[in-house]
Amino acid sequence: MTPELIQYLENIRYNSKLNRADETELISELETHIEDKLRELTESGLSPEEAIKTCLGEMGSTRLVARQIYEAYSQGSWRQVLMASLPHLLFGLLFALNWWQYPFWVSVLLVLTLATAVYGWWHDKPTWAFSWLGYSLIPVLAVGILLLYLPKGWSLLALPLYFPLALWWLFRIIVQTTRRDWLFSSLMLLPLPIIIGWFLAVSPTGKLTEFNLPRVYGFAPWIGMSFIALALTIGAFIRVRQRWLRIGLLAASGLSTLTLVVYYTTGRLNTPTFLGLVMVMWGVLLVPPVLERYLRSGRGIIWRHRKPPRPGLKQAA
Amino acid sequence: MVPRHDLVKGSSNSLLLCLLEQQPMYGYQIVKELEARSQGYFRFKEGTLYPALHRLEKSGLVTGKWQMLPNGRQRHYYYITDKGLAKLAQERTQWRDFLNAVRLILQPGTSGP
Repeated sequence: MTPELIQYLENIRYNSKLNRADETELISELETHIEDKLRELTESGLSPEEAIKTCLGEMGSTRLVARQIYEAYSQGSWRQVLMASLPHLLFGLLFALNWWQYPFWVSVLLVLTLATAVYGWWHDKPTWAFSWLGYSLIPVLAVGILLLYLPKGWSLLALPLYFPLALWWLFRIIVQTTRRDWLFSSLMLLPLPIIIGWFLAVSPTGKLTEFNLPRVYGFAPWIGMSFIALALTIGAFIRVRQRWLRIGLLAASGLSTLTLVVYYTTGRLNTPTFLGLVMVMWGVLLVPPVLERYLRSGRGIIWRHRKPPRPGLKQAA
Repeated sequence: MVPRHDLVKGSSNSLLLCLLEQQPMYGYQIVKELEARSQGYFRFKEGTLYPALHRLEKSGLVTGKWQMLPNGRQRHYYYITDKGLAKLAQERTQWRDFLNAVRLILQPGTSGP
């Protein structure tokens, strides 16, 4: 394989955003096709350089092939729609039904979220896993907030230890998700600005007290509605094939849900806080693609992680 | 006038299923076979064959299997499934009806099959 051919396959691999198994299969297929084509062209009398140029011309642009591959694989089943929307729906129902006040149901939901996120993470990271992964970050934030309530000396001791560790863990998750596809990082982080928005609306000082509880009661139906709106968006996200449409859905949903938060919390969120939240939302949408570009520049090419020949390979008759 | 590549795109599923009905094939073989049987009419960017094949595979109309050839080379062969055969039969009927209707308009006076 010459550098041009390696680059051609690498561009298709990078832009088609498949999981590791499908990616290996596709690249192996294209590689054998190119080998056959080059053999035919050189046997017809072309020089190796001419053969490569003709071959790549006849294969078509990497963007076109990768886009069609992406669209062939991107549409999820209705089961995947359910799995991806479920965490948003469950959190929505938790507030819509006012079950957030029962520690039992909150614990059940958090354990279920963590368990599903871990299961998805270790089982080839299907698209639905990233919705759960986003909510599994809530306990990390919650522990950080709880540390504020420790006696002053302990709080000063624990916070400098906890926050770097939590940030490091969060960064590792984001990097690994972005390596698969930056869009999944945005999908995963999408609820965070909305959760932060509601939290600041309930507790502008950042500390939860018994005085904040009536506010949670007041906002609960709207909190529930904002999560249910997210569930509907994520359902549509899983079904659409086109990447630009998926990006548009996340952007529109994030910003409209944030607007809904501000609308129903009139007087609680001031303009700088709202602008801060909008910036966080744009960060959720813009930082992952920038991070992906950065990671790609330092990432090894496909040949370093190619799998050995498939098990169960049969001898053709 | 409808561009030729649009005609190929619109009928790619039927063409691929029809070829695979006759024998299992791998990608490069399919390109060559399409070109030979259509006397060069069906020429397209070869890389775009794979999205079409993978789409058929995702829909359960074909299934792929890696095989080792006697010369030691590996090929990813595609086989048509029962679902693919049923789909092909359905598409053949649609094509026949369509062609018959076109003939009735372009060549008035000729009767249908």
